[in-house]
Amino acid sequence: MNLFTLAAHNLFRKPFRTAALVLAVGIATAAVFATATLMHGIERSVDHGFSKLGADLMVVPRGTMVSMERALLTGEPSTFYMEADLADEVNALQGVSTVASQLFLTTADAEHCIVGDAFLVGFDRENDFTVMPWVSDRLDREMQPGDVVVGGGSDFELGESVYYYGQYFTVYGKLDRTGIGLSDNAIFLDLDEAYALAEASRDYDDVELGFGPGDISAVLVRLESGADPERVRFALAQNSGISVVAAGNVVTGVRQNVVALFAGTALLTGVLIVGNILMISAIFSTIINERRRELGLLRAIGARKSRVFNLVLTESAMLGAAGGVAGVALGLILLRIFNRTIGFHLDLLNIPFLWPPVENIALMGMAAILMALLVATLGASYPAVSGARLEPYDAIRAGE
Amino acid sequence: MLLRGEELSKSYVIGDQRIQAVNAVSIDLSPGEFVAVIGHSGSGKSTLLSMLGGLTRPTSGAVYFEDESVWSQRDVPRSLLRNERIGFVFQFSSLIPTLTAIDNVVLPRMFGRERVSKDVYAQAEGLLETVGLGEKIHCFPSELSGGQQRRVAIARSLINRPSLLFADEPTGDLDEQTEAEVMDLLLRTLNEDNTALLMVTHNNALADRADRVLQMKDGRLL
Repeated sequence: MNLFTLAAHNLFRKPFRTAALVLAVGIATAAVFATATLMHGIERSVDHGFSKLGADLMVVPRGTMVSMERALLTGEPSTFYMEADLADEVNALQGVSTVASQLFLTTADAEHCIVGDAFLVGFDRENDFTVMPWVSDRLDREMQPGDVVVGGGSDFELGESVYYYGQYFTVYGKLDRTGIGLSDNAIFLDLDEAYALAEASRDYDDVELGFGPGDISAVLVRLESGADPERVRFALAQNSGISVVAAGNVVTGVRQNVVALFAGTALLTGVLIVGNILMISAIFSTIINERRRELGLLRAIGARKSRVFNLVLTESAMLGAAGGVAGVALGLILLRIFNRTIGFHLDLLNIPFLWPPVENIALMGMAAILMALLVATLGASYPAVSGARLEPYDAIRAGE
Repeated sequence: MLLRGEELSKSYVIGDQRIQAVNAVSIDLSPGEFVAVIGHSGSGKSTLLSMLGGLTRPTSGAVYFEDESVWSQRDVPRSLLRNERIGFVFQFSSLIPTLTAIDNVVLPRMFGRERVSKDVYAQAEGLLETVGLGEKIHCFPSELSGGQQRRVAIARSLINRPSLLFADEPTGDLDEQTEAEVMDLLLRTLNEDNTALLMVTHNNALADRADRVLQMKDGRLL
């Protein structure tokens, strides 16, 4: 016999009360675990998506930063233009390794077989480092004129034909799903073919694409290894017509949005945790009161104050561990049940989402169990101190 | 001298009133001696026993166990003293209800310096056999009669082979025949190890079996 078996015996004394406490801790743990898993999933998908974008900096026309971020994150069609020569200027800067121009165009609802609201991106295939390296499925041949690459979230199949402004395009490849709107939802075509499409749109009076050869929307910049992004940004800032955005800043911005989105949930979870601590404290105070005579007896037969304290904390820790394990199991069941609905809701909110890897979920599960342990021991610590401080004789006489 | 209490006093404040439970009592006990303290309810005998046994701090006065001051010690050495040198048998059923008879007997060893080994269980089994409960070692307290529970408590008080046993009305709620059996058992086992006994009782027949009888009234020894 040892302290653990004694504590376990005590917990089984009132099975219903113990089960209710385990369930209460379990529900709080499940809430924390499920929320943390979802938040991590969103953060991860943002990181993952931007790492695939491959650009350290993005140069866009001044005043279009918000539209650019929206286009990147949600894939919402955005159109803004600047002169293509800018790409050469950027490329000439010290510290810049490669630049790739992109041109954003959006089709409008109209007759003549134009599919409305498609987000097309013309990209410079010669210097590209942001599209072709991430094609996961492709036709069994080289890419050729008239081919397009679709995002990972697209419903188009390989080899399927798409039709814009009187021109057919063949779906040559499909990108890996990244969780980033631009990569998942846009259709990528060669920059020159995008210009040709603009020319063709002149035949469609009211839905003419408003740009011409020599226009681009963004320049994606890859820096040389070891180059200082701030120095390059400073050099670019000399041009008053442009804005520069660092990929990391967009990621941080998304994180802030995610935190804001989950702030309410986190607050509720916090309240749940504090409520658990208070509840455990109240119940353990009752338990100490019920067992005053027994604790006095333990002290009389030689238990030190620290042993009585440890006994109470061991009971609460066992309860916390059981609640933690139950909570993680409950959280996994909830995540599984809501697997599809969560994805759907996050899609509606334009929030990129990829499930975290299993090992990360396991780590979060262990952290949640540790949290449950902490909550239970914290809640029981004050009653444990009170129990340990009881004078043996007074405690033994309790109830007389 | 095994135990010495000097000018022990204990007072409580209840509301505006100060209650003097024990008033300047001095007492001593030799090894192997059986001393009975008798008196009516509320005369202060249980409070005196608890001060001598290191269970409640005296308001004034001192207690010496083998010439070492009990109340000058910190909690850990005083707890070890109670654990290793002193045994207690209380008036009420003092068993832990979730533990079997043998686990209740082993319990003091769990709070001692050493781990509970198989030898300790063998010793506990031997003690339970001595008190006539060899067949009941795996019974829970709820499965034992009042007399049997008291026997288990006696076995528990002896597991560490104490030099001194405190017994507070140890047969208070037992019938006459069981009372006699429990007392016989207690005295026989104590004599074997030359263990001293300080027993608080209001039963004159039990007190007659003691080497010395002290009477308390209104917190004072007469």
